[in-house]
Amino acid sequence: MLFLTRTLPFLFCFVFGVTSWIIYYVPHEYAQTIEREFALWLRLVFAFAYVLGLVSLLSLHWAKIRQRQAGWAYSLIVYISFGVMMLFVVYNDGNGPFAPQETTGPYQWTFINVHVASSATMFSLLAFFISSAAYRTFRARTPEAAILLVSAIIVMLGRVPIGAYISDVIPEAMQWLMSVPNMAAKRGILLGVSLGAIATSLRIIFGIERSYLGGGDD
Amino acid sequence: MERLINIDRRIIFVFVFLGVAIPLLVDIHLPIKPTPTVRSVYDEIERISIEDPDRPVLVSFSYGASTVPEMVPMTRAILRHLFSRGRKVVGICLWPEAVGIAQPIMDELAAEFGMKYGTDYAFLGYKPGQHAVVLNLGQSVAGTFPFDTAGTAIGDLPVLDGAKNLKDFSLVFDFAAGDSMEFWWIPFGQEKHRFPFAGGCTAVMAPDLYPFLQSKQLVGLLGGLAGAAEYETIIGVPGSATAGMEPQSVTHLIIILFILLGNTVYFITRRRGGTV
Amino acid sequence: MTRDRYVFVGFLALFLSANAILVANSSLALDWDGIGVMVAVGCTLALYSFLYKDNALFKVAEHVYVGVAAAYVFGITWYNSLYGEIIVSYFDIGAEGSTGGGHNPWVLLFPTLLGLLMLTRFSRKFSWLSRISFAFVVGVGAGLTIPRFMSSFLLGQLEPSLAPLSLSWEGLNLFLVLVGVITVLVYFFFSVEHKGAVGHASRLGIWFLMVSFGASFGYTIMARLSLLIGRISFLLDDWLHVM
Repeated sequence: MLFLTRTLPFLFCFVFGVTSWIIYYVPHEYAQTIEREFALWLRLVFAFAYVLGLVSLLSLHWAKIRQRQAGWAYSLIVYISFGVMMLFVVYNDGNGPFAPQETTGPYQWTFINVHVASSATMFSLLAFFISSAAYRTFRARTPEAAILLVSAIIVMLGRVPIGAYISDVIPEAMQWLMSVPNMAAKRGILLGVSLGAIATSLRIIFGIERSYLGGGDD
Repeated sequence: MERLINIDRRIIFVFVFLGVAIPLLVDIHLPIKPTPTVRSVYDEIERISIEDPDRPVLVSFSYGASTVPEMVPMTRAILRHLFSRGRKVVGICLWPEAVGIAQPIMDELAAEFGMKYGTDYAFLGYKPGQHAVVLNLGQSVAGTFPFDTAGTAIGDLPVLDGAKNLKDFSLVFDFAAGDSMEFWWIPFGQEKHRFPFAGGCTAVMAPDLYPFLQSKQLVGLLGGLAGAAEYETIIGVPGSATAGMEPQSVTHLIIILFILLGNTVYFITRRRGGTV
Repeated sequence: MTRDRYVFVGFLALFLSANAILVANSSLALDWDGIGVMVAVGCTLALYSFLYKDNALFKVAEHVYVGVAAAYVFGITWYNSLYGEIIVSYFDIGAEGSTGGGHNPWVLLFPTLLGLLMLTRFSRKFSWLSRISFAFVVGVGAGLTIPRFMSSFLLGQLEPSLAPLSLSWEGLNLFLVLVGVITVLVYFFFSVEHKGAVGHASRLGIWFLMVSFGASFGYTIMARLSLLIGRISFLLDDWLHVM
C-alpha cells in the first residue's frame, strides 16, 4: 500500500519531471510530440482542478449551513445564487449544455450586471483603504522610508498629466526612476525568484519537497 | 495634532470620492504626453503593418472582471489601432472571465471597421492551463484551440490560414491583469519562438515588467489607465482612459497632500517629544 | 429604530427614488438593459456600503457575487474545455458544416483519467489516488519550468545587465543598473554576514529596493484609483447620465 500511496506518486513526479526537462534540449520531432502531449494533458487536468475548487467551495458553505454556524444564512445565499447562475449556464440561451456557448442570454446578462459590477466594486474599495492607510501609517521614520516616500511621490505625480503640468522635470524623473533604479531592483528580485523556483523544482522532482502530496496517512 | 492623525477614516473616503467625482463632472483637460514604452507599442504595430501585413496578430486576454476599468480602455485602443490598419486579429483568453468581457468588445470594434468574422478576425475562447496553453500554442494553434467559441473547426477559419504556431503571428499582444506576461508568455512562448511580443498590464504589474523592456523580451508596454490614455492620445481617439486622467491627477494630489500632512504632524509631534 | 437602520432605510429609499425618476424621464429604459444597469448599480452601492460600516447588505451582495462567480467559471470551463474539448473529441461533435477537428480520443484517455482521479480527493477511502494526478501536474510543471526560467530569466536578464559601458548618460545608467542588480543580490544573500564591504553593498541594495517599492506603491495607488474612477464613471454616466 505504501508503494501506491507514496512511491508511485514520487515515481510519477520524477519520470514526468525529468522527461519534461530533458525534451527541452532535444529538437527531434518525437521529443516535441511528447512535449505537446504533456502540455495538452496538463491543460485538461487543470480543467478538472476547477471542478475540485468548486466542490471545495460548495462543501465549505454546506458545512456552515448544516451545522448552523454563525452567518449560515449567507452561505444559503451562495447556494441560491450559484443555483440560479447554473440554471443559466445549463439553459445556454435555449441551446442546452451540449452546444457551443452562446454570447447572449441570461448567463451573459448576469455576468455583466452582477459579476463584473461586483468584482470591479470589491477591488475599487481598496482605493479608499489604501488612501486612509497611507495617511495614517506612511511615515519617513528612517532614510530608507524617506527614499520610498520620495520615489512614490515622484511616480504618483509623474505618471499622470498633472506632473507634466507642474514641471517637465517630473515625468522625466519618473521615467528615469522606473527605467534605472526600479528596473535594477526588480531584475535583482527576478534573478533571486528564478533561482528559488529552479531550486524548488529540482527538490520536487527529486522527491525532497513533498508538500504537494498533502497530509493524511502515508 | 494627534486628533488630526486619528480623524475618522470616512472623512478621508469623502475626500477621495470628491477627488474622483468632481473632475468627472467638470470639463477640464490636461495634456497627455505619451511615454517611450507606450510609443514603442504604437511604432511596432505601425512597423508590422508595413513590413508584415499578411500574417495575423494574436491578442491574448488575461484579465478578469475586477480590472475592467483599467484593461477595457487599453483593449479598445489597441484593437481599434489594429483594425484601423486592416490587421487580421485572432483573440484567445487565458483567464476564464475574459471571455465575456473581451468577445463583445472585439465584435463591436470589428463591426465598426467592417471586419468579417472568420476572414478578418476570430475569437477562439478560453483554455485552462495557464503556461501549458502558451506552450501548446508554440507547437500548434489547432492542437490548442481545435474550435472557436461557436464550435467552428480552426481549419474552417481563413484568418488562421498559415498560422500553425506562435512563430506564424506577426505580433503577440497580451492584456495581463496578473503575471501572465512575466511567467507564462515570456518563458514558455517568447523565449523559444522569439516572436515580437508586447503587452498591456494593470498598473500594479507595470514596475515588475521594466526588466523585460530593457532586455527586449518585451517590445513595449501599456501600464494601467495612464498607459491606455497615452495610447488613445497617440491614435487620436480619446476614450474613457483619457477622461479618467483628470480624476486620477486630482486624487493623486489629494493623497500626496494627505501623506505630507501626516508626515508633517509626525515630525512636529516627535520634535515636541510626543508620540503619534 | 437605531441610527444605522435609519441610514439603511434612507439609502434604500434614495436608490429606489433615483431609479424611479430616471425611468420616468426616460434616462433609463425599463427593458433588460435598463434593469441590468439598476441591478449593477444596486450591487455596486451595496458593496460600497461597507465604507460606512460592515453590514448585512454588504454581506448579502458579497455572497451573491461568490455564488455567481463560481457558476460562471464552471460554465466557461465546461463550454471551453470539459465539453468543448474532451466530450466533443470523444463523440466527434462539431458545429454544423464543420470539417471535424478536436483531438484523437485515445490521446485524451490518460489526462481524462488523471482528471477524474483528482476528484477522488473528496473520498476518505480513495483520496490517495488523487496524489497521482497532483504528482503529474507538479512534476511536469517543475520539469517545464527549470530550463525555461534558466534561459529567459537567468540568462535573458544577465546578458543586458552586462552590456558594454560607455562614457555617456546611457553608459552611466547601465553602470547604475549593474550596481543595482549586484547590490540587491548581495542583500538577499544571507549565507554571509552583512558586515564591512558586504554590509555597505547590502545597504546600497536596500536603497535600490526602497526606490522600487516606492514606485510599486505609487503604481498600486494609481491602479486602485483607476478601478474607483471606473465605478464612479459608471454610476455618474451609465446610471445617472450626468457626465
